[in-house]
Amino acid sequence: MGWITRNTGLAVGLGLLCAAGAPADAKSLRLNITADPSQMDPITESELIAGDIIRNMYEDLAGIDKDGKIIPVLATEWQAMDGGKTWRFKLRQGVKFHTGREMKAADVKRSFEALLTPALKPGASQVYLKDVVGAQDMLDGKATALAGVKVVDDTTVDITFNKPDVLFPIYPVRIFDADVLSHGADWFLKESAGTGPFQFVDWKRGSEVRVKAFPGYWGGAPKIDEVVFLVVPNIETSLSLYETKGLDLVEVPPSGTRAVLKDPRYENQTLRVPAAQINYLGMNQNLYAPFKDKRVREAINLAIDRDGFVKGILGGAGLPLYGSITPGVAGYAPVPKIPYDPERAKQLLAEAGFPGGKGLPPIDIQATAVQKDDLAAFADQFKKVLGMDVNVKVVERATHIKQMNAGEVAFFPWGWTADYPDALYFLSQLWDSRSPYNRVRWKNADYDKLIDQAQGEPNAEARYKIYAQAEKIILDDVGMAPLYIRTQIWLKQPNVKNVYLTPFRMLPYAKVEME
Amino acid sequence: MLTYVARRFAELVFVLVAVLILAFAASRLMPGDPIGAMLSDRSGDAALEQRLRAEYGLDAPVLQQFWIYVRGVARGEFGLSYRFVGVPVVEVLGDSLKISPLLALSALTLAVPLGVAAGALAALRHNRWTDTSVMAVMIAGISVPNFASAAFLVYLLAIRLGALPVAGWGTLQQTVLPVIVLALQPTAYIARLARTFMLEVLAQDYIRTARAKGMRERIVILRHALPNILVPLLTTIGIIFGTLLTSTFVVETIFNIPGLGRQAIQAIFARDYPVTIAVILLFTFFYAGINLLVDLLYGVIDPRIRLEARR
Repeated sequence: MGWITRNTGLAVGLGLLCAAGAPADAKSLRLNITADPSQMDPITESELIAGDIIRNMYEDLAGIDKDGKIIPVLATEWQAMDGGKTWRFKLRQGVKFHTGREMKAADVKRSFEALLTPALKPGASQVYLKDVVGAQDMLDGKATALAGVKVVDDTTVDITFNKPDVLFPIYPVRIFDADVLSHGADWFLKESAGTGPFQFVDWKRGSEVRVKAFPGYWGGAPKIDEVVFLVVPNIETSLSLYETKGLDLVEVPPSGTRAVLKDPRYENQTLRVPAAQINYLGMNQNLYAPFKDKRVREAINLAIDRDGFVKGILGGAGLPLYGSITPGVAGYAPVPKIPYDPERAKQLLAEAGFPGGKGLPPIDIQATAVQKDDLAAFADQFKKVLGMDVNVKVVERATHIKQMNAGEVAFFPWGWTADYPDALYFLSQLWDSRSPYNRVRWKNADYDKLIDQAQGEPNAEARYKIYAQAEKIILDDVGMAPLYIRTQIWLKQPNVKNVYLTPFRMLPYAKVEME
Repeated sequence: MLTYVARRFAELVFVLVAVLILAFAASRLMPGDPIGAMLSDRSGDAALEQRLRAEYGLDAPVLQQFWIYVRGVARGEFGLSYRFVGVPVVEVLGDSLKISPLLALSALTLAVPLGVAAGALAALRHNRWTDTSVMAVMIAGISVPNFASAAFLVYLLAIRLGALPVAGWGTLQQTVLPVIVLALQPTAYIARLARTFMLEVLAQDYIRTARAKGMRERIVILRHALPNILVPLLTTIGIIFGTLLTSTFVVETIFNIPGLGRQAIQAIFARDYPVTIAVILLFTFFYAGINLLVDLLYGVIDPRIRLEARR
């Protein structure tokens, strides 16, 4: 019976393969994306899925290697001049665009200019160019050229800023052949204009995005023929496809991690890397009077069972977080562990005048529907340990974010993902009192001063020391309670080699080999 | 007859307009805001929000937005998608427009003959083991939700036996599983109805007369009994088609088919109002359209309706 089923299966399977007409020797790497990308070009690019695809076609001046270390990409070296107010970049020679033209220094200028041209509807990268001299004039429509970028010669370009921007070299800003803009707004469907290992082939909305190997890639032509990003919203379907070898890589979303981590078949096929994302519990002192007392904040901090949370709520796909920076991000340094100490927490709360939670006004803990379980776990924990009455409040996502950004949410768990590989991303955007994303509205003048200092310090080691000081200030004051880091989980078929998962998601698939 | 048809068409248009108003109102009353969804973590930048709101025409008063939308629809335009920068809704929907009704129709084509045959067979073997076992299978068919039967069939036929692809769209093989899964419940439902109707018909005087005249049993069943159960069954086809359309949401998600149902889910999550409203209108159109067709067919099959309409 066994062999009959097996052989019929094989016969039918072969039949299907022939029917589909797939060339048997084409090496294509197939992986899932959970939705269509919202954009497919380096100018309007704004979200995660778009970034995952575009990263394979378009490159930045610098990038990261598989260990998260910063490496030169389109620039071979860079140098701060004038106290960090100007950066000089030496460009890599012999880099070809997919269009066939060779990349020159003028292309850096033109790429930046496109990102500052409002008519082209630029997306998320624009913000990184805001401090370049003349950027505002372009945004206001007063200039069509970017004054702050000077082409010194074919391989040298100087970029000048209104104030020092020491991290500029690592910002994710794509360089492309701006000649293609003459094809109109949907040029990216007609032509591929990057320098990356793969070039655009086709986007069938709702089904797939296909990119093929670029033989002229400066880093060497990829050893696979193409990468296919299949739109598969449902993780169960992705797993079934993986099971039948219809997918070579699967990104497992949080909803699927439990099933995958428990399955012994997948044990040697999972990639696990902590994400460059911190998750914290926000306590807004302006909105809930007891939070003004540091002892109350500390009591909450000590009442969180981080290990239990990671195991129970995240199904093991995470790590407890004790600081404000995640490992694998430049500038990270270990910080002391925050113990789970219910006794000390109770004592602190009593000292603050709320023995057993008596006298604490009820409070809402707010987030989106996806985090329902997290909220319930927190509410339960704080009731149990501190006797605090916490109501779970679920709010629609966009509304929740808007309220947090406006400083209108008192108590919330939320995350923040780094867009570039430096700890300053977390420190400057989340806790600097001048940042719109300081959702807890924690305010500390010394902290802000350190951030300014760090932003003007071109020496990395010196800068990391400042980070440590700043991080200590917010942790000592319990300006928020660190919670956990999520682990990214991917499945990879055994025959696929050289796939690198980093804290910043997948590296481009330039070196992938398939046996 | 012609006035009847005209009246029914007017009703269809009325339903579509009513749904358009409701869908538009719902899209504006729903919590959440498409600009907020676009900016996600970055929302709160007032100047940027203002610029985007103006770009998408969301800064105008709601009534004016509605008027602009209706004028577009009248010209056959459904506006630009909020999620895909600058892409017309019609282009976003693209092929998915055909996929969902095609799936539902294929399932219906499979379910009707199968269901009628099973139901008739059960009725003819009334209270014998064939009847009991057919009905047991059919009750199971109704009770098992389609996501469960899908999971089971995928595991058995695709993963264990490798006989069919797990998911996807484009080849004939890829349509087999989703169509079977979609057809299961309606087949069972139709079988139960067919059995009841058949039992009723078999007890009628004209059947007894036919048999008394010495007609062969095959003729009695095929010529006299079967056509008479088709008329009441036809009425339910419209409803079944509606259920099938809704089931495509689930089945398209499980089998990863780029149809309207899956589009709708993506659009709703992204607060892509123009696409959402267009999908709702299309579903209404398919549903109302098939019901209209059924009613008209009903008139063709049953002379009494024709007569009534003439009066």
